[in-house]
Amino acid sequence: MNIFQIALNNLKRRKIKMLFLMLGLVVGVATVVAVLNIIEAMHLDLGDRIDEFGANAIILPGTEGMEMHYGNATVSDLTFDVQQLTMEDIPKIFSSSVAEYINIVSPKLVGAVEAGEQNSLIVGIEPRQEFMQKPWFSLAQQADIEQGETVGDLALLDIPQDGLVLGASAAEALKVQVGDQLMINNKPFGVFGILNKLGSEEDGLIYANLTVVQDLLNRPGELSMIEVSAYCNSCPIEEVAMGLDEALPNGRTIPMRQAALFREETIDQFSAFGIALSGVVLLIAALVVLTTMLSSINERTREIGIFRAIGFRRTHIIKIIFLEAAMISVLGGIAGYFLGSLTARYAGPYLAQIQGDIPLQLQLLLPAILLSTGLAILASAYPALKAARLDPAEALRFI
Amino acid sequence: MSEIMISLRDIKKTYRSMGDEVQALRSVTLDIEKGESVSVMGHSGSGKSTLLSIIGALNPPTSGIIEIDGIDIYKLSQEKRADFRREYLGFVFQQFQLIPYLTAHENVMLPLTTTKRSNKEKREMAEEVLHRVGLANKMKRLPNQLSGGEQERVAIARAIVNEPPLILADEPTGSLDTKTGDEIMELFQQLNQEGLTVLMVTHNPDNTRYMSRTIMMKDGKLSSDEEDIMSAITDKRK
Repeated sequence: MNIFQIALNNLKRRKIKMLFLMLGLVVGVATVVAVLNIIEAMHLDLGDRIDEFGANAIILPGTEGMEMHYGNATVSDLTFDVQQLTMEDIPKIFSSSVAEYINIVSPKLVGAVEAGEQNSLIVGIEPRQEFMQKPWFSLAQQADIEQGETVGDLALLDIPQDGLVLGASAAEALKVQVGDQLMINNKPFGVFGILNKLGSEEDGLIYANLTVVQDLLNRPGELSMIEVSAYCNSCPIEEVAMGLDEALPNGRTIPMRQAALFREETIDQFSAFGIALSGVVLLIAALVVLTTMLSSINERTREIGIFRAIGFRRTHIIKIIFLEAAMISVLGGIAGYFLGSLTARYAGPYLAQIQGDIPLQLQLLLPAILLSTGLAILASAYPALKAARLDPAEALRFI
Repeated sequence: MSEIMISLRDIKKTYRSMGDEVQALRSVTLDIEKGESVSVMGHSGSGKSTLLSIIGALNPPTSGIIEIDGIDIYKLSQEKRADFRREYLGFVFQQFQLIPYLTAHENVMLPLTTTKRSNKEKREMAEEVLHRVGLANKMKRLPNQLSGGEQERVAIARAIVNEPPLILADEPTGSLDTKTGDEIMELFQQLNQEGLTVLMVTHNPDNTRYMSRTIMMKDGKLSSDEEDIMSAITDKRK
């Protein structure tokens, strides 16, 4: 017989109350574990998902340039010694020192053409690469589809050699529908698709196959820019840009951190929200422990009086209460860890828009148990002190 | 010359409740010798239980000196006083006061829990006293699986397991039938004959037959009047 057994026997006797107390801890720990799991999964997912947020590096033709400032105004860029980007540069990207971080490479040529009777901007693209990189582009209308059939996924479609895809504003300005014919620099093209409105400058563009546009503009093999989706967890995009610069001396790479930053910002916001939520849930768990322990102490006044009368010191009483809290909280920590991990696994993908599984993070098990135990001990401190300070004479109704 | 086990000198105890002062004990002076068995009688509110709790190192007096085996117990710190209770006193409370979720054996082992004895030694000591009070075959039972008399025996076993020199009992037969009450009183008598000092608060005048001395309390004072004692005993027996 020792103090541990007294604590254990008391827990066994008050199963319902102790289960309720444990439930508070389980919910608290589960919330923290789920949030941490989801945040970790979001970070891991960031690398995989970056292509969905567009290019994060743009390679432009190399130039020597000067800006002219007059007062507060920038009068113009003075560029000279403009170099060329060509199709031959594409393989160089895939053999560069940063090749392993490259996800999507989308070369394009931009030029002004006469469309119908208007001047428009045409962009030559490799459709699959371009639309995979920009998943927010979607077709509003598509030519040659049966009645009732839905439009296809742009990233999986090929634009015919004599076909065009028009931005919503461009189609409106040129007054064309899918299936119509449109003369571009006096050559006939069919309107293959019209894009949904994006609300950006891209709405006014005409898209066609890259080689077609190169022929149309009489600039064979030439490129205006190459958009690259690259990401690695361990290196910043600036390092990727430097690798690309080395591989393409005729181009200059501009790192675009926005995409990664946007996602990181989302993760930061989720983290802040998750941590705040965890804090609130943990506070509630602590209150559950506090009130349950206090009510348990009140019910056990006489019992504690007996312990004190037969020679238990105050520290022995505190030990009993803390041991009870510790036993419950270790179980609560383990149960909370598994509940949190399962919640993250099954609800995480919906909550955080993550693709794929959220793996079990075993390294969180010990911290989960420590968190649960720490919280329970902290919340039991006041009830334990109250129990220790009970006047045994009063508890045994001698007074 | 006999030795003094309990020495009370001018003990006063005043409770304050809602601004009123209640004098529970008014200058009690008393000596109880080692090996004596003393019953304390008196009407409700006469101060018997207060006296017992003060002697039990649970309730400091407002003034006066109390020594048990020469130790001024209220000069000890709270924790030392707890140690003192464990080593010197065996309590038998009103209505047994057993811990409901511990078996008879575990209840008896309770006072040994905080001592440095080995588990084996604790188990054996508890078994021995349970055997002595006639409950060797019911050690594994929980209190609610025992009769009133058996629970009282467990409570007595718990009080003596630590081999204290002084037993304090508060109405030990209050909730027992006459036959069982007599058996319990015989047990106390036996313990006293073995050398333990017994102080018992009781309402039952029949219990005084088993004790070597009876003290009467009236309005917080000891009554030395023999008639008071006799009339109390006779009144109760009527």
